[in-house]
Amino acid sequence: MKTEAYMEAAADLVGVEIHPDWRPGVATFLGLAADMAALLDQVELDDGELVQAPVYTPPETGDD
Amino acid sequence: MTDPVWMSATGIAAAVSSGEIKAADVAEATLSRIAAIDGSVNAFTDITTARARAEAAAVDAKIAAGKPAGPLAGVPFAVKNLFDVAGLPTRAGSKINRERAPATRDAVLIERLTAAGAVLVGGLNMGEYAYDFTGENAHDGACCNPHDLARMTGGSSSGSGAATAAGMAPISLGSDTNGSLRVPASLCGVFSLKPTYGRLPRSRTFGFVDSLDHLGPFARSVADLAIAYDVMQGHDAGDHACTDRPAEPTDLDASTGPLRIGLPGGWFAKQCGPEALAAIQATSSALSAEGADLKPLALDEAEYGRAAAYLITNSESAAFHLERLRTRAADYDPDTRDRFLAGTLLPAAWVARAQRVRAWWLARAMDAFAEVDAFLIPATPFPAPLRGQKELKLGGRTVPLRPNLGILSQPISCIGLPVVTVPVFQPGEMPIGVQVVTPPWKENLALQIARKLETAGIATAHPPSGIPA
Repeated sequence: MKTEAYMEAAADLVGVEIHPDWRPGVATFLGLAADMAALLDQVELDDGELVQAPVYTPPETGDD
Repeated sequence: MTDPVWMSATGIAAAVSSGEIKAADVAEATLSRIAAIDGSVNAFTDITTARARAEAAAVDAKIAAGKPAGPLAGVPFAVKNLFDVAGLPTRAGSKINRERAPATRDAVLIERLTAAGAVLVGGLNMGEYAYDFTGENAHDGACCNPHDLARMTGGSSSGSGAATAAGMAPISLGSDTNGSLRVPASLCGVFSLKPTYGRLPRSRTFGFVDSLDHLGPFARSVADLAIAYDVMQGHDAGDHACTDRPAEPTDLDASTGPLRIGLPGGWFAKQCGPEALAAIQATSSALSAEGADLKPLALDEAEYGRAAAYLITNSESAAFHLERLRTRAADYDPDTRDRFLAGTLLPAAWVARAQRVRAWWLARAMDAFAEVDAFLIPATPFPAPLRGQKELKLGGRTVPLRPNLGILSQPISCIGLPVVTVPVFQPGEMPIGVQVVTPPWKENLALQIARKLETAGIATAHPPSGIPA
């Protein structure tokens, strides 16, 4: 019930329409994502372990 | 002479270059093979007949003029239909994208293969927008496994695995975000190479998850995989993730020195069926017989890496598709739509944490590489399931098949490691693949290990029994 309430509220906020026939499927995948997120919570991360993937590198301009 | 459709790419190139056979004859044999069997396999969505004939004629003309025609002279190849092919809309397995204007220029990797003398014969079926491990597609129909047409090819590079397995293209190209080069190789019994993230440029292809997408080749031998990879290497500015490292040509005959092979147990082993465990036993024993030191490893952190990959994929792909999902959700394949829609709704904190766990998992994997040179891991938990199957038994639990068929491949692409998938055939059974995983930028070592397994007769592609030879 919690997942379905979240799905409805978030879909409205994001602006996607979830047809009634699609709701069970979307809720299943949201539940699966929640399971994955709960797994990640088990990992003990040090505050020094930062995100490495989305790093932005400014382009060279050639004007230096 | 062997039927050209079953010749290796290196064999075709040598025969064409020496004048023993004409590229035009190889192209015609390949087009005839496609016409004869693809109605059953459904690997192709576009057959580029006129183009193939023109490219083959150009190769023959070069050879007649005494000019070199390239290391892939006259070798037919086909590409997953998310690669731009000049003159075709890049459909990426979807209904929506086929409304796009035809591409005006080929993808960079197609340009590099054709510059090496290869001949494009068509575009290949795939799971919609690459969000698939099965090879099923509501718009273009399921791609069928050439070894047993009732079974899945795996996805999302379904047509690539099937076309190469079925003698319709000795080389094909696919993409891999979470396993899409490795799952079809495993289920269809062919080789594939997923290079290091950033190694091969993705310029002019339709992306899925920018921070996870890789491109690579399928082939029926390690030498064919290596030559295709070699001609595709090199920086291209059209892909912001592409490395500017110089190309590192493969050398399959170089000495590897004594090898230390890691065999992950723990979480990995819990996901494996008996055929997958038998394939690891066969491949590790063969390497041990050649002097390799086998080292059991836990590597249980992969479970968290896989969870991170799932969330990053779900969120990043859904954000990429958000406008299409707002306006045309009904036009998506029902099997991808629900997952994409769920991905639009994920809390940002989950995804940000997934990025941190991904970096943490990469560090743990690199710690393991201090102890071993490569890991051997099954590419899929089982051989090909039946088409239409919706659930799997994994670790004693019944789980949805679609997100879980790639459970053993997903943790590896999430941290960008190079992988050669090798096919293992046990008597009377469907094939299953083993991933040879090496540290970043060590594709050559993965290919050398695959070559050892091929030479030992443990990892070889076989003509399929599900269709006429």
